[in-house]
Formats: sequence, C-alpha cells, structure tokens
Amino acid sequence: MKKRVTLLVGCVILTLSLALTGCTPAAPTETPAEEPEVVKVGWIGSLTGDQAVWGTCELNTVKMLFEDINAKGGLLGKQVEVIGYDTRGDATEAVNAVRRLTAQDKVIAVLGPNASGQALSISSVLDEMQVPDIATVATNPKVTVNDDGSVKPFNFRVCFIDPYQGAVAAGYAYDILGFRKAALLYDVADDYSQGLTEFFEKHFVEKGGEIVAKEAFKSGDVDFRPQLSKIKEAGPEIIFMPYYYKEVALSANQARELGIDAVLMGGDGWPSEVLLEMAKDAVEGCYFVNHLDFDDPDVQDFKAAYTAKYNLPVELNGYLAYDAVQLLVHAVEKANSFDPVAIRDALETASVKGITGQINISKDTHNPEGKDAAIIKIENGVYVFQQKYSAK
Amino acid sequence: MSGFLQQLINGLSIGSVYALMAVGYSLVYSIMNFSNFAHGGVIMIGSYIGFFAMTAFEMPFAAAFCTAALGTGLLAVLIERIAYSPLRKRNAPFLYFIISAMGVSIFLENIIIASPIGPTFRTYPRVFGAEPFVVAGVNIGRLDVMMFVISTISLIILVFIIEKTKTGMGIRASAYNLRASALMGVNTDRIILIVFGLGGLLAGIAGVLFGMKYTVYPQIGNITLKSFIAAVFGGLGSLPGAVIGSILLGIIETFTSGYLSSQFRDLIAFVLLIFILVVRPRGLMGKTTEEKA
Amino acid sequence: MDWFYIKGILILSGINLMAVLGLSLLTGFTGLFSFGHAGFMAIGAYVTAMGTVKLGLPFAAALLLGAAGAALASFFIGRITLNLKGDYFCIATLGFGEAIRLILDNVQYFGGARGWPNLPRSTNFTIVVILNIIGIIILANLINSRHGRNFKAIREEELASQTIGINVFRYKMTALMISAAYAGIGGGLLGHYLGFLQPKMFQFIKSTELTITVIFGGLGSISGSVIGALVLTSLPELLRTFAIWRLVVYGAAVVFIMISRPQGLMGGYEIPVGKIFKKLYYRLAGCIRGKQAVGGGKQ
Repeated sequence: MKKRVTLLVGCVILTLSLALTGCTPAAPTETPAEEPEVVKVGWIGSLTGDQAVWGTCELNTVKMLFEDINAKGGLLGKQVEVIGYDTRGDATEAVNAVRRLTAQDKVIAVLGPNASGQALSISSVLDEMQVPDIATVATNPKVTVNDDGSVKPFNFRVCFIDPYQGAVAAGYAYDILGFRKAALLYDVADDYSQGLTEFFEKHFVEKGGEIVAKEAFKSGDVDFRPQLSKIKEAGPEIIFMPYYYKEVALSANQARELGIDAVLMGGDGWPSEVLLEMAKDAVEGCYFVNHLDFDDPDVQDFKAAYTAKYNLPVELNGYLAYDAVQLLVHAVEKANSFDPVAIRDALETASVKGITGQINISKDTHNPEGKDAAIIKIENGVYVFQQKYSAK
Repeated sequence: MSGFLQQLINGLSIGSVYALMAVGYSLVYSIMNFSNFAHGGVIMIGSYIGFFAMTAFEMPFAAAFCTAALGTGLLAVLIERIAYSPLRKRNAPFLYFIISAMGVSIFLENIIIASPIGPTFRTYPRVFGAEPFVVAGVNIGRLDVMMFVISTISLIILVFIIEKTKTGMGIRASAYNLRASALMGVNTDRIILIVFGLGGLLAGIAGVLFGMKYTVYPQIGNITLKSFIAAVFGGLGSLPGAVIGSILLGIIETFTSGYLSSQFRDLIAFVLLIFILVVRPRGLMGKTTEEKA
Repeated sequence: MDWFYIKGILILSGINLMAVLGLSLLTGFTGLFSFGHAGFMAIGAYVTAMGTVKLGLPFAAALLLGAAGAALASFFIGRITLNLKGDYFCIATLGFGEAIRLILDNVQYFGGARGWPNLPRSTNFTIVVILNIIGIIILANLINSRHGRNFKAIREEELASQTIGINVFRYKMTALMISAAYAGIGGGLLGHYLGFLQPKMFQFIKSTELTITVIFGGLGSISGSVIGALVLTSLPELLRTFAIWRLVVYGAAVVFIMISRPQGLMGGYEIPVGKIFKKLYYRLAGCIRGKQAVGGGKQ
C-alpha cells in the first residue's frame, strides 16, 4: 500500500514539474511587439524522405526569390529571412514545425507544405496562432474547406485541386483524344494518387468511357510488371498513371518492355527533366496535365536563374513555390503590414499574375479559381505544349 | 496461356531480385543470428558507387561493377567493426544488433541526402539495350536475363567458397556454433569479417543491378524489406532457403497481383507468410537448433 | 523557447509515451520484440475516431473502445504468432503492421490513403498527462505484482519458467494485449490531437522508433521509458535547425548509444521516486521537529 501511495505522489510531482517548466516561459508573449528589424517567412516540407527532391526544390526557390527581394531593398523596406523546416513528409512533424514557426520564430506566414496530409494536419495550429499558410501542391479539396463547406480561415493554396485535375485528364482523354477504353494504375498508399484516380474514373465513366482495368501498387514498389501484364490483357487504349515521375518512368519502361503500346497519361506528378532522362522512348507520344506551359518566357527566366544558382533542374514544385511567394509578397504589399491577420485578409481577395497563370483567390474556397490546366505532350523527347484546357 | 507464362517470368524475375538481397541477409544471419537491417543501406551505397564509377569516372561496366562490389565489401566490414563488434564483445542480445543496424541504415540514407549527391534520382547509362527478347509471346527484358545470369554466377561462386575452401569450412562451423568453433581454433573474428565482406560484395552486386533496373535514389535500400520477408519465408540462416523463399515470394506476389487483387497484394502475401510460419515455425529450410538461452 | 511550441512537443512525447509504456511491458519486461506496434496505434486511432465521429461517443469512451479494438486485434495476431521465436516473431509483427496500413489504405469509409480530416481536436495537454500518469501507475503496479515477476521470469529463461509452472503463452498474450491497448490509446490521442488521420502516419519506421525509444530508455525500466520518450521525441526538435543533417545525427546517435551504453539510459533500474520523496519527507519532518525542539528549548 505504502509503495503505491509513494508512487502516486511521485507521479504527481513529476507532472507538476513538467507543468511548471512549461509555465514559466508563457509570460513574455504579452510584451508589446516592437517592430522587428527582419521579417521572417516560414517554409515547411520534405527535405528528407522519399519526397525530398520536391521539397528541396521548393525551399531553394523560396530562398532564391527572397534573396532577390532583399537585394532590391526588401519587402516594405524590411529584409526577409526564410526559415525552412523539414517534415520528413510526416503529418505529425509538420505540426511540430508549424508550432515552432508560428510560436517561436514568429513568422508572418508559412509557405508549403507540398502534400495534402501535412497541410490538413497543420490547420488547427494555424487557426490557433492566426498565421496564414499558402500550400504549394496540396491538391486535396479538404485542405482549404471543411466537410460542411465552410472555408478554413488560414489555409490557402496556389494549385488546382484533385477533382479538377481528374476532370481535365478524363475530359481530354475522352473528348479530344477520343479514347473510350482506359486502364488505371495507381499508388494505393498515396493520397495524391488515390485522389486523382477517383476523380478520373468518375468523370471518364460519366462521359461514357469504360475502365477496363484498375490496378494498384504500393509506395516504394519498383516493379509493376504483374499489374501491367494484367492491364495488357485488358487491352486499353490509354493508361492513366497518376503518380510521381520516378514510378512513371519505371512503369512506362516496364510497360514498353512487356509490349504495351497504349498511350500513357498522367497528372502533375509527371513533369521533370528526370522523367525524360529515365524514360525517354517509353513516354514518347504521351500526355499529362500540367500547371503551366514550360515554354512561357517568364518560365524561362526563372528556370535559367535557378539552374545557374543551384546546378539542378527545376521540379514542378519550384514553379508553384514561386507563385506562392508572389502571392505572399502581393498580399503583404496590399495589406501594407506584416500582421499575419492583415495578410490573411489581403490574401482572401488577392489577385496576382503568377508563373503558372493568373491566380485569383476565391474568398469562399481559398483556392485559385478558374486556373486553366495546360496539356503537355512528349514529342521527340521534349515537352510540347498542346493547349490550355479547362474541364466543364 | 501467354498471359500466365508472362506472369511466371515476371515472378521469377522479381524473385531473383529478392534472392540476391536475401542471400546477403541470410549469410550474416547464419553466423550472427540477427537480421542485418543495414544491408539495404549498403546496397544503396553500392548502386551509387557503380553509378559514379560509370558516369563521373567513365569506367567500363565491368570495372564499375567490381569497384562497387569491393567498395561495399569494405563498407560492410567497416560497419561490422564500428556498429556490431563492440556489441558482440559484450554478448548483447540480438535486438541491440538490429537497432544498431537500423541506426546505420538511417545514417547511410540521410548522409546521401545531406551530401552534395542529394535526393535526386539518377539513371545508369544503358548497357544492355532496351529491346526485350520475345519468346513464345512472352517478353523478357535483356537486363532481367543479365541479372539472372550475374546473380546465378555470384551465388555459385559463393557456394563454392562456402563448401570447398578452408575459410568456407570455418564459416560453416561458425554458423553451426560460433563459440564451439572458437574453442576448436577457428579464428571467429576473422570469419565474421569475411562473412560481412562477402555479404557486402553481394550487396554491391545487387546495388549495381538494382540501380540499372530501378534507378538510383537514397531510399532504394527500402526494397530489402521484401527480401527480409523472403529470407524468413525460406528460413533464416539457410542460403538455399533464402533463394527458394525469394523465388516463391516473387511468384506469389506476382500471381496475387495478376489473378486476385493488386490492391491487397501485400496483405495476401503476409497471410501466406503467417501460414507458412505456423506450419513450419522455422521457415521452409531454417536452422532447427533450439534458441540459445 | 515558447510555451506553445514546448506544449506541442510535450503532448507528442506523452502520446508516444503511451505506446512506449505498452511496448516496455512487452519488450522490456517480457522479452518479446515487436516491429508492428504502429499497426496497433493505427487500429486504436481509427477505432477511436470512429467512436467520436461516426458513433458520437464521448472522447473517453471512444478511447477505451480504441484500446479494446487494438487489444482484440492483438489477441488474434498473438494466437497465431506468439509461439514463433526471435526474428520470426519480429517479422510476423512487421508484416502485421504493414498489412493494417494496407487495409486502411483501401478502406474508403475511413478516407483511404487520402486520410480522414476534421476529427474533433479533443486531445489536450491535461488529458495526455493524466492518462500517462494512470498508465504509469497501472504498469508499475503490474510489474511489482506476482504477475510482473512472471513476466520477468519469461524474459530471463523461457524454458525454466515453463518448467516451474508459469503459463508462458498466457503471460506473453497478456503482455501483448496490454501493450496493444496502450498503443491503441496512444493512437487515439494522436488522431484527436492532429485532427487528421492517414495510414502513412503509421509506417514501419514509426514501429521502429517506438522500439528504439524503449531500448534507449533501458529495457525493463519504466522510468527509462518515460525519459526515453521525452528525450527521443524532443531530440529531433532540438536538432531542427540542423535541417537535412538532422537524421544523419539521429542515426549516428542511435548507433552510438547502442555501442556505448547498450543497456540504455536506465539499464533496468528505476528512478526510486518513492524513496526520494520518503527521504525528502523525513528530512523535512526532521527539520520541523528540530525547529520545534529548538523552540521548545527556549521556553
């Protein structure tokens, strides 16, 4: 009995000490906010883990752009410091990172993350700390909107969403390319891939097309021949591959090796210089949905600057990170303040010409509305812009 | 029919990929009685060495191949010296080895990401050509054939070393009972280094072949999780078991995807694994000795 | 350091601690190694979320339901795999963890791989601390009871324990089920802290992190597990400014701890919380008494 009591007492003391160590630093938050010399902008995303390629490109872009801005006199006359934290692609880590950015580093806004899972989990922290976030490629509709249709006050994004992209891909495949039999290969363990698959299937079937095969693999897989062999027997005219370019390259190569000559189609996980390097012949004549036309002159300038600075190819995320920065800068200038809430208010009605098109943030969804998708075809080993296309 | 044959070939090819990794695992397991989770990391380093040997140093394929194998052989020995041998001297339980191995694996993956090499995907220059062989309506990739040949040759050499040389006898004796062979005058410390070296060589070979087939990136070592399952299937510590387990797992996975459901492939493979373990708790050909207390 | 940020880390440490405590019983006291406890966390998380969102239960009831769900799953898994030895049991739990994730990826009712957003955010600091204390007390009492000695006996000498009449299988099963229930509560807390669930959160790496924490703290020590969970959850946060070098340091640290202090921080010892306070109490009491005595002398 005695033992139990002492143990209990011990536990209580332990908790109290925990609570006490926590309580002390709470006070200074009320000190009047003096104007800081440097304003801080946060970024979160994957610098390690299997999404590291995209995250690294985003952070590089954000840093490069703010260096430019600083060299030109800064934002509203203030120098900007970029603080980037790694999330390992993990939703829990993203929450930690945003807590640190908002509470300790006191950033005026957060850019990123590049995946919906992380964007969904950070929204409560953003609401609590009243700091806006501009997601780069978080395409799940629920990132900015609650289940009941109300908008999340501090979540914004610069990319189009899964339903839209799925509809564009299905519409283009059915209406423009005239395909009627499609097969799906998707990553069952990836949110982005499942989302696109769902909406492609829905729209393609609604239009009157037929899904002849629907096969899945799991993130980390490198061999897709069993699934592809099955797809081959179903004889589709087009195979929709909504996942990232490494898997696209591997599965495209393997499909050709198995003698599949159907047209391949994908989403915004495709565009990369590396795809062409890895699967040059295999993706010849294939299509994908993109956020922008790579031949746009604005795009060329950014691409050249980035490659000169980092000696790396620009990934798609770089362009969207570019636009996220543009949007933030525009909002800060419009609000003429570094107050996060004022920036949020400015973001709600922001309209800025980005590298991926005109970005008109809608007050009701916090999405960039009416952004056209670009359809790109791979011809002779280069990306050839086909047309702007928007789903009806 | 050609569909069935094609799937069989797919399964064999995937299985032989697993086999090349699983043998390295099992070899270390047979002596040390723990699962060397760092094996995947060593394979990954092997594919990077091969890649840079061929691109940056413009070596011919054969030279790059040997460089990678030797490099990873050395790396594996180094890992043994740093991360395992202090534990071995203390007679630590097997889990400490596993955790240490995981630490090594986390370290290796992230040092590549943090170094100037970075997380970018890299493609080997094509050596064997892309056109597949077509036999009776079945497509077989050139690289797959080469992989099969190279892994068979390496496994034959390995079996020769283990069965026919004096060192091999030492390895077999140590696998049977490490302490007793030490008492019998076998230099077990040397044997353990040799075993890690051999495991490393195999990892390098696997690394270059994977790199060619599946491109090079820091997480490529993660596929070794499958080969670990395959090694358990076959019975840990048994080399023929590792090969058979791998081929079986490859075929089971392929047929599950092909004829049942690709969505639930790993689930079905797992249920089968459990089933085999329930019927044969030591895998298909595992060591039957009682757990050392 | 800002309290809001620290509180976040502490809540996460507490959530991890729930799972680690359970695993401590299984690994540290019974000697079974699991690489699938993220799977039990996942079951707990999804069942709890189902309780609050779909069934409209209060949070506490839903948490219990989650724990029960995880324990039930562990019962079925345990029945078929607990007779396996060493690495074979490891691989079976590993396969189980991956299988759970795969199932959740496919179940669209729970959002599949896209995740389940907008869960009620019921987890707060107080709840986590209270649950941790309850968890520690229950576990400590269990360990110090007759059953606790049986667990340790199985860890030390399975065959001998069997011979002296301990029902090894039943004790292993009990340890597994209790540890799964703890992990389930941890999962339930996690989901309602983030307000979002996704099968990706419960990867193999999560299971290994839990096991690493138990070993880091010291096998067979509850206070070790507590310290381990606190240190290892905050370590990556402290290293946050290292950016990409963070996990390099983490990996190297794991190896370093294993080779330099393989028995972990506490190495099977407990911080004698009780004794320290008893001593403190007597000293305090002695002081007061002494003062009274001095005062008395003056009279």
